[in-house]
Amino acid sequence: MAQHQVKFGNGLPVALTTVDKIVNWGRSNSLWALTYGLACCGIEMMASGASRYDFDRFGTIFRASPRQAEVMVIAGTLTKKHAEFIRRLYDQMAEPKWVISMGSCANTGGMFNTYSIVQGADRVIPVDLYLPGCAPRPETLQYAVMMLQKKIRREPANRNRNIPQKRFI
Amino acid sequence: MSMREYKPKDNVQARAYYTDRFYVAPQLSKLSPNSDEIYNLDVIKLKENFEILDAYIQKDELVIYINSFDNLKILKFLRDDLTYGFLMEMSAVDFLAKRDGFEIFYEMLSQVKRKRIRVKTFLKKGLTIETVENLFRSANFAEREMFDMFGIQVNNHSFLKRIMMPDDWHGNPLLKTYPLQGDESAQWYEVDKIFGKDAREIIGPEIRDSARVDRYDTERFSRLGHEVSKGTDIYKSEPSNTAVQFQEKGGVFLIKNLNKPQKILTEKERRDR
Amino acid sequence: MQQANRLRPFFENLAFDRQDNQMVINFGPQHPSSHGQLRLILHLDGEQVIKANPDIGYLHRGMEKMAENMIYNEFLPTTDRMDYIASSSNNYGFALAVEKLLGIEDKVPRRAKIIRTMLLELNRIVSHEFWLATHALDVGAMSVFLYAFREREWALDLIEDYCGARLTHSAIRIGGVPLDLPEGWTGNLANYLDKVEKAIKNDYEALLDENRIWKMRLENVGIIDKEMARSWATSGIMLRGSGYHWDLRKEMPYEIYSELDFDIPVTDKCDSYGRYKLYMEEMRQSIRILRQLIPLYYSSDSQLMANVPQYISAPKEQIMTQNYSLMQHFVLVTQGMRPPVGEVYVATESPKGELGFYINSQGDPYPYRLKIRTPSFFHTGILQDLLPGYQLADVVTIIGSTNIVFGEVDR
Repeated sequence: MAQHQVKFGNGLPVALTTVDKIVNWGRSNSLWALTYGLACCGIEMMASGASRYDFDRFGTIFRASPRQAEVMVIAGTLTKKHAEFIRRLYDQMAEPKWVISMGSCANTGGMFNTYSIVQGADRVIPVDLYLPGCAPRPETLQYAVMMLQKKIRREPANRNRNIPQKRFI
Repeated sequence: MSMREYKPKDNVQARAYYTDRFYVAPQLSKLSPNSDEIYNLDVIKLKENFEILDAYIQKDELVIYINSFDNLKILKFLRDDLTYGFLMEMSAVDFLAKRDGFEIFYEMLSQVKRKRIRVKTFLKKGLTIETVENLFRSANFAEREMFDMFGIQVNNHSFLKRIMMPDDWHGNPLLKTYPLQGDESAQWYEVDKIFGKDAREIIGPEIRDSARVDRYDTERFSRLGHEVSKGTDIYKSEPSNTAVQFQEKGGVFLIKNLNKPQKILTEKERRDR
Repeated sequence: MQQANRLRPFFENLAFDRQDNQMVINFGPQHPSSHGQLRLILHLDGEQVIKANPDIGYLHRGMEKMAENMIYNEFLPTTDRMDYIASSSNNYGFALAVEKLLGIEDKVPRRAKIIRTMLLELNRIVSHEFWLATHALDVGAMSVFLYAFREREWALDLIEDYCGARLTHSAIRIGGVPLDLPEGWTGNLANYLDKVEKAIKNDYEALLDENRIWKMRLENVGIIDKEMARSWATSGIMLRGSGYHWDLRKEMPYEIYSELDFDIPVTDKCDSYGRYKLYMEEMRQSIRILRQLIPLYYSSDSQLMANVPQYISAPKEQIMTQNYSLMQHFVLVTQGMRPPVGEVYVATESPKGELGFYINSQGDPYPYRLKIRTPSFFHTGILQDLLPGYQLADVVTIIGSTNIVFGEVDR
């Protein structure tokens, strides 16, 4: 944020910035994630929150309630039986919200090309970031969150999702 | 004129694409039950009380065939008199195509004798089987799963409902006639449920080809360095370079454009940073 | 704003027209302590559970169907995703079942057997540590979670050194293991065993054993009596926690367990605290087994895969140099092995309990039917008999102490 420091005169140091930047700075550095461990990737998500990888460094704290979460990490296989619930949880999250699809299963169905798997979570909810791997390592998830931070910093703060979209989701 | 390839309808599972005409699959050897002392006694006792259609030892495990209407009595006898107290597993095997029925197996364990026994029975299509839930609670879940996966009705079960699949699911997935990737209702299941049937056209069919890549798809993929807004149609012309834009360029109150013109770094410059 | 969807709020968790004091609560499928995707419909009277109805299938991935459409070697990586806390034990269960079917279980080389046993026991430690971490987190002990994950990461490092993967190992193949241990691995293993042994004593047990909250929440909660344990076909620690002296490693030994010296901890306390003690003791026994395996490893030959050209590809070197081996390999990869007609049921003691694979083969390269008997499936079922009578707060403890993993329950 502080890339626009201009004055170091006699008074206090003043930093000028735009509203967009400061809002996005705040948003991107306190991404609270929804604990949404669906399968194997959920274990890696837990590991990235635990001792070695320590997700709190990024301001990412796992919340159990969708109302308090800003980023949904779909960590694992999304089945057709569960699809309804992921949509409900997504609808319950407050704007602004982002979705990381973690692992091949959530991206495309992955190795489970079967009758009971949703072939990509983006058939049900919009996804911001796709994270490859089966299962992705915790470092990969952290990298994904950093990419998401970059993405957030780049978009306008009052991002309007009212744009009519071609797709339903 | 070309002929359509013949595909059997009664078994749509994957098949070996090449089989030697003269290949005869070897059989796992079936030993007589009297080759094992403990099993021999068990079979003798069972034969005294019930009709046992077949009994043999395959891979160190006794297999007995029974009539499907005897299952409750025989399992009770096995549990109470022959110490086979654990029903570890039960399920069915689909033989509808070959023999018009299912084979149901009960995998039992005796901790006293350290032996396993597999009780098998053949169930004609359309017939039902009696629940063994009252003898073994583990059958509660196992029979529900069998009902869900094969559609086999179980009599007197306390809660015979689908267990793995949702209640409004069509078809029984483990039947040989059910394709691996699901029938039509399965393929649209989540779309129908969440958005309604009208959305089928908009969302489109499932992409089952795992190797499919569409570089013009801006719905699913962001293009690093060449971002366009989601859903932009770039099928005709692909932007080669996307300028980075900031809001203040248009002029924000009190703030002049503080950004120096952004320079696109070469690969070497990027490395040096 | 999103386009409207058809989902309407549902009130199945609230019954307005009830006259009595009962309340119906929906627990899951997204719940931090549901260990995955368990959904429970709980009928409550005040805070007491009257009726519990586990609803599973939210992670049903159709593995049994997949197996019918895959050659045997192709299916092996899928088994990783079943009990994803301890993948190697699933690989092993499947590999052993196929080996039994092929009749080559005696031809697996000794070094492969030793490495397999090492991996199995290392996985047991990983699994138990993960269980402890999540269970303690559910009950409210955050620091145990951090400590247990620390040691778990070290064990994952070892596994990663061996096979390159952290979670989904596929490190055990049909007929042996693909790789030898890397250099210095056993030394690292010995160091790790020392560390984890200390951690069990100084961290986990010191924090929990006499912890008042831990004891109050676990003691006399989730009592599984002998009859219930038998009737529900429980296995593993759920069974031994109810006083049955039964561990497949001892009673029906496979691999080289018959040569090893270890004890099976059993308790007749039947409650969650007793099971917690068993988990701790089992980790100690695994450490003991691993220590015995290190010298055994050095006294074994270097062969890693069974030499059965009909079913198992020859070593890479031979494939690259000998024409016939290359042809055999080509056929095995493209068409798959064709086992004899018959059926086997092979059970192994996975960290969760008895993991059994029933394979019905009709002589094709694809199994005609593969049924996976997973311990967690029945341990989920037992919840409907176990939960009634306990308080709502105990539900989380009981789910935690059953150690269910949903990849395994729903398959």
